[in-house]
Amino acid sequence: MQLSRTRSTPAIQETQENSASGDSNRSRSLDRLTIFALALAGFALAVATLIGRNSPLPDIAPLIVFAALFALAENQVAVLPNRASASASFMLAMAAVVAFQGQGPLLGALIVGLAGGLYWPHLRSGDWRKILFNCSNFALSSCAAAAAFTPIVGGSGERASTVLLLASVPAALAFSLVNLLLLGAVVSISTDTKYVEVLRELRPRFVQILPFALLGVFMGRLYIDYGAVIIPLFVVPILVARHAFASFLALKESHQATIRILIGALEAKDPYTAGHAERVADYAVMIGREMRFNSARMERLRFAALMHDVGKLVVPNHLLNKPGKLTAEEFAIVRRHEAVSVEILTRIDFLKPVAPSATTEAHSMSEGADDSARPIEPFIVAVADAYDAMTSTRSYRRALPQEVAFEELRKNVGKQFHAVVVEALITSLTRAGAQHGAGFEAAPHEFAVEPPIVGTGSAGLGDLAEGRPAVAPATATVDALMAAERINDVARGRTYIPENSNEGAAR
Amino acid sequence: MIGAVSLAVIELLAVRELVDPKGPWLVLVFLGSAIAAGERLNLRPAGRVALPLSYAFFLVVVRAGTPAEVLATMFVSLGLAFVLSPERTLWRRVYITAVRVAAIIAALFTYRLIIDHVGFADERWIVLLALVLAGIAEIGVSDALTAVSARSASFAMHGRTADLAIITTGALMAISYNGIEGHAGMGLWGPVLFAFPLLAAWFAFEQVIAIRRTYDQTIVALSLVPELAGLTRPGHAARVAELSQKLGSDLGLSTDQLDALHSAVLLHHLGHLCLDFGDPSGIEIAERDVANKGAEILRQTEELTPSAAILDGTDGSIASDILRVASAYDEISNGDDALSDAAIESLHHGPGFSYDVRVLAALERI
Repeated sequence: MQLSRTRSTPAIQETQENSASGDSNRSRSLDRLTIFALALAGFALAVATLIGRNSPLPDIAPLIVFAALFALAENQVAVLPNRASASASFMLAMAAVVAFQGQGPLLGALIVGLAGGLYWPHLRSGDWRKILFNCSNFALSSCAAAAAFTPIVGGSGERASTVLLLASVPAALAFSLVNLLLLGAVVSISTDTKYVEVLRELRPRFVQILPFALLGVFMGRLYIDYGAVIIPLFVVPILVARHAFASFLALKESHQATIRILIGALEAKDPYTAGHAERVADYAVMIGREMRFNSARMERLRFAALMHDVGKLVVPNHLLNKPGKLTAEEFAIVRRHEAVSVEILTRIDFLKPVAPSATTEAHSMSEGADDSARPIEPFIVAVADAYDAMTSTRSYRRALPQEVAFEELRKNVGKQFHAVVVEALITSLTRAGAQHGAGFEAAPHEFAVEPPIVGTGSAGLGDLAEGRPAVAPATATVDALMAAERINDVARGRTYIPENSNEGAAR
Repeated sequence: MIGAVSLAVIELLAVRELVDPKGPWLVLVFLGSAIAAGERLNLRPAGRVALPLSYAFFLVVVRAGTPAEVLATMFVSLGLAFVLSPERTLWRRVYITAVRVAAIIAALFTYRLIIDHVGFADERWIVLLALVLAGIAEIGVSDALTAVSARSASFAMHGRTADLAIITTGALMAISYNGIEGHAGMGLWGPVLFAFPLLAAWFAFEQVIAIRRTYDQTIVALSLVPELAGLTRPGHAARVAELSQKLGSDLGLSTDQLDALHSAVLLHHLGHLCLDFGDPSGIEIAERDVANKGAEILRQTEELTPSAAILDGTDGSIASDILRVASAYDEISNGDDALSDAAIESLHHGPGFSYDVRVLAALERI
């Protein structure tokens, strides 16, 4: 488990930033952190002296080589979604354990591990507490790995591949266990969360790191046989992979930013929906996280949610912001935007499977239909979209209170919304303590003419129908299916009711 | 499934038949399978011809086997790869197999030349040198043949990290399998484990390709919006993009400039969407305003800032002239070749002679 940069330090950094913006409990948790770091360093030192008195000192040359590599690996860590590549430092710890067999592997591993805390950004900012903690953490973890490994291989240079491979399993376990426990303690102290909860959050990915243990063991063995000449052969492919991953991540980042900005800028043509796509994407991600999507699927969901309204661009401004009713002709133009959205999403291979995210039809849940075969993404986008539409102010009505939005979503479960998706959103929002809707809008609008305050999800009709009461009562008795349809229309930006139809009853 | 099993059996029998039964034929079968699989996995960094992972496995075989065994393994594994190849045409398959054969023979020749003619052939430095040189020969021959058939040699250093990864991994796998200087090797464990970083590199390069493709497709998809809104004629953005790339390469733009131009062209009507088009009051929107609005949007992104400069003409390069000429040309000709002469003519005498002469000359050439 690559504990350092990917997991531990960002966690530490984040929490400190959080508490910096916070207040009094900041200094207290910082003090506890300081005490913990000092105590840990003291303990590591004690362990080192204890071992040092009873074992030979390892050779200085391999010590320097492995310590330098360890520090290098820690400074080169690319943060990956699945935390895989960052295991390079663990691999080096295992290599050191093997290389020091017969000459004080415990002490050797401990000293090499010390170098892991030398993270350049920390050194530059003089953040000695983090340095102290990371150094002691890596030293103790590596030492634990050595302690688990050495008895099995018998101390004096057992070389058979199978024995080495076998011994690396408990070593990997010991390393990740010690690392996890110490890391959990530090995160728990600095975030003021329960230790057990933190551990559950950080739970080790033992299976993921095992291959790195095996690689490290073989690297150590080759080092014993052939010396430092082997190191470039070993390091180069890893650096190439790392470099490619880093450029992948950088590309992904910049492409996402580009798309976000483009969508945002285009969206600005309708002041009432500014930030809508971004928020829908955020809600969709919340739902996806609740439903335990993997990172690739999450990526696609986010992208699809961001793009779901792209077709709105084909609708001329004067129609989008038209205060009154739309004529049938105008409505046809407005409706076309869904087809355009789908057309555009289909052009992007990666989004093709979830292209229906952009249509209303696809999410309406026909009764008895087997939705297990259909991707769930469109339902997620539908719920996220409807929720944002209900909790933000539009030209024709004000934002609804969050509770009303929840109620409305629940009411239409099974007709239009997917039960699991709705509950996932509500759970996630409730857990995060998020508040949206009336009174909690991100960017409250300035109105020339105040939009009407209207009832529930059926609200969108306020400005449309002259022949019917513009303001639906909060406990609308309208046919629920109809309400569902309207919510969706609201979410899509505009509702149309044919001018001469006797709507309400007619549908 | 049945196919795979029967292929494996055929490979087993073939290698066994070709190789001395007392030799390491089972290992060769394993490595041969790895080679056949490696043929399907190519490292494809940007700006470099694809390199198959099988080149790394060949280095193991080159060191592990006698020349006869190497050749036998080569024929069997390449035969397998030939059958499994995703290439459609027979000619492409034959061509790829021929390139591989040449590359491997070059590697084998280089390795043997050094090992057989140096007295202390089990010295670690000699073995490593021989393996690295064999790897270089392998990739060099492969690249040279590809360059000859594509009639374009490139000595750019782009994507050379892939070469490094293949050669170092191959050498590492080779010495971990056999061992040098009397040290025992690790057997097949070595090649199997040390293939991991190489596979990780392969995966990373594939991710880069996927993200690039998605991004390009997104830009193309966005370029369709003005068309779907009825603001431009069908296919306008795509045709202008193609034409401007031709003009750009004719006028000697760099790759980066061509890329920026490509995005600028695809998105050159995007600004129109943000302006109040289709207003019933019937006010026409000036082309200038569309370009400026589009540039304003693109400039908000780091990635597309160069394209923004092309779009509103602030970069002062010929690229923005290309964009304007190509767009104006397409608006007149509308993709109809029969109208091209008339279109060029009218650009020459067009409103205000505002088009760049060099670009017009290039347009006539094309």
